[in-house]
Amino acid sequence: MKTVSTLLMMICTLIPLKHYGEMPAVHRGMPARNAAMVSIPGGSYRPFLHRKDQPAAVKIHPFSLDVNAVTNGEFLDFVKANPKWARSKISPLFADAGYLKQWTGDFEIGDDKIINSPVTNVSWFAADAYARWKGKRLPTQAEWEYAAAAAPVGMQKGARLTRIILAWYDHPNPVILPPVQSTYKNAYGLYDMHGLIWEWVEDFNSVIIQGNSGTNADSFSCAAGSLGSVNKEDYAAFMRFAFREGLQARYAINGLGFRCARDLNRFD
Amino acid sequence: MKTNRILLGLATLTLLSCHKSAVIKSTLCCARDRAAITATTPSPAVGNNSVYQLTGSWTDQHEKQLTLSKLQGHPQIVAMIFTHCAFVCPRVVEKMKAIRDSLPAAVRNQVGGVLVSFDPDRDTPAQLRSYATQRQLDDHWELLKGNSDQVRELSMVLNVKYQKLSGGSFSHTGNIYILDGNGNIVQSVDGLGGSIGSAVSTLNRLASR
Repeated sequence: MKTVSTLLMMICTLIPLKHYGEMPAVHRGMPARNAAMVSIPGGSYRPFLHRKDQPAAVKIHPFSLDVNAVTNGEFLDFVKANPKWARSKISPLFADAGYLKQWTGDFEIGDDKIINSPVTNVSWFAADAYARWKGKRLPTQAEWEYAAAAAPVGMQKGARLTRIILAWYDHPNPVILPPVQSTYKNAYGLYDMHGLIWEWVEDFNSVIIQGNSGTNADSFSCAAGSLGSVNKEDYAAFMRFAFREGLQARYAINGLGFRCARDLNRFD
Repeated sequence: MKTNRILLGLATLTLLSCHKSAVIKSTLCCARDRAAITATTPSPAVGNNSVYQLTGSWTDQHEKQLTLSKLQGHPQIVAMIFTHCAFVCPRVVEKMKAIRDSLPAAVRNQVGGVLVSFDPDRDTPAQLRSYATQRQLDDHWELLKGNSDQVRELSMVLNVKYQKLSGGSFSHTGNIYILDGNGNIVQSVDGLGGSIGSAVSTLNRLASR
């Protein structure tokens, strides 16, 4: 935690507070041009969907994760450097027709107000390519869920993160997505893990929700274990898993963005 | 998104009320059409929808290195499997063989079979070779292994779902994919149930082009 707070202090010092006046006092941090990362300590994670023939907890190795979701501005840099990922150039194998539809052109975001907002309408392929370009990778589902489970800093005693998340799920998407760091910071120093967008994970296609009938071959498994969820009261996690189950890697969806992760080496 | 959430909410209630394993109709999860990928217009060169745009290098059962684009020129019957799979994969492979065996000899010799392993650790070329022998797969079959990133990427392109389990096996969906000579996914068929008729006629049609 000490490292985390040190990092955050560095971030706060380094970043000019450009639109400071417009931001509520509790959200005064501004997005970094070069996404800062924080180290997430290892631990164990109990998957929401748990097969009865598998261990209840998954070991999470220490890793680092972007403090913010990748913004439109950052993604524009990637597209400029890799024009084959431009809207008019991208192969339909790698993104559907909604790809970057909030932009006005191949290399123009158009609306200045969304430069620092999370980039959405990006396919898994595009998110994966961006992460690799940065020398990073997408977080695994287990890593993301583990990091996102941390409580908001200053959360009121007795409050439950699940409630906060569900209240957000209940709201319609805003027409103009707010900038990163406009919701809350969690105990790891990560912003907006819930409350702003949904995020791609590297292995979203590992979610296989098995029907009881067993006749649907789109959904069977080799080892004959059945699924039972760990915490049936966690509607919020249920919704994320159900959402991931319905995704395909080429989908570009409004409200679905990403952030990047990296392995920690022994020198970190 | 709003409608989806309402549907998801309903699914949640279903789950919570029955106290059984999760039963979610996949159609609830996303408004997108998840129907089988339909035929794309054939193009003379590798088209934009071609799976052969993936550039990774794979190793086959003869220890030969190849990119998927080496499969270009002939229709292919493709599935992702792992050789230690005792139940599902053998049935998927048998179904692929049955599809191929139902083609007239002249067509059959133009159609390849491709098995891509989920399991780079255990499915060495030697293991793939012995699996080919065991399952009587002739020279028209390519059994491929790549690294885990390549496996993930191909699974994303084909829309295969899989998860590595502790103990080294995999939970996975088991569809069979028919690719045209340019690597476009023309049809996806259930690897377990259902008839082979439509896959056979698709391949006959592709061969007559």
